[in-house]
Amino acid sequence: MKVLFYGRLADVIGAELEVNSPARCSVSQLRERLATEHPLAAQALRSKRARTCVGDRLVHDAHVLSAADTVEFLPPVSGG
Amino acid sequence: MSVVARLEESAFRPDEELAALLKQASEDGAVVSFVGVARPTSKTGDPVEQLVLDHHPTLTLQSLQDIAVSAAERFDVTHVRVVHRCGEVRSGEPIVFAGAASVHRRSAFDAADYLMDRLKTEAVFWKREVGASGSEWIEPTDADYADRDRWG
Repeated sequence: MKVLFYGRLADVIGAELEVNSPARCSVSQLRERLATEHPLAAQALRSKRARTCVGDRLVHDAHVLSAADTVEFLPPVSGG
Repeated sequence: MSVVARLEESAFRPDEELAALLKQASEDGAVVSFVGVARPTSKTGDPVEQLVLDHHPTLTLQSLQDIAVSAAERFDVTHVRVVHRCGEVRSGEPIVFAGAASVHRRSAFDAADYLMDRLKTEAVFWKREVGASGSEWIEPTDADYADRDRWG
């Protein structure tokens, strides 16, 4: 599946990554795998204020991903 | 009633936004506006040359629209206007315009305050200050989240 990153996560991991995920991988499982593979991004990935989107919709940690999904990891946002 | 929410990729003129709001609200009685400006120094006192606001291709504008509509629904206002920069903003340039009009002043003050509290914590941007010593990501502070949570 395609995984997109923004903000400080894109700084560390890059803006886009192709991930070969196992069948029925949850958001939290994908996050933990990415955190293990990219330790410099682990804190930002695990932040309670970070959000995950699939198809421009926020999804919860238990959401099950499919190989065709594009998953986006959004670090804490800030405007103004 | 009108709600305007725009994402601007280049410099915008807050005076023109205020003029447009005043024109719309010429019979309403009260207009309140706030302009956020890129600071020339960081919290640690280092010079900042520019603020860079990364944005999301769809979620950023959607977040501006959601916040503006929410203000219009929550307060007794006649017009709401939000304009937000993205990309590279030089120190001293405006980042955000948040304005509201109402028949009596309190609603417009409250709406502008609410707009900014939510924009600071929920508008989909990732900000970094860039200076001679490198770049630093800026995220909302606990005080910013507490300000937002005042509104329930």
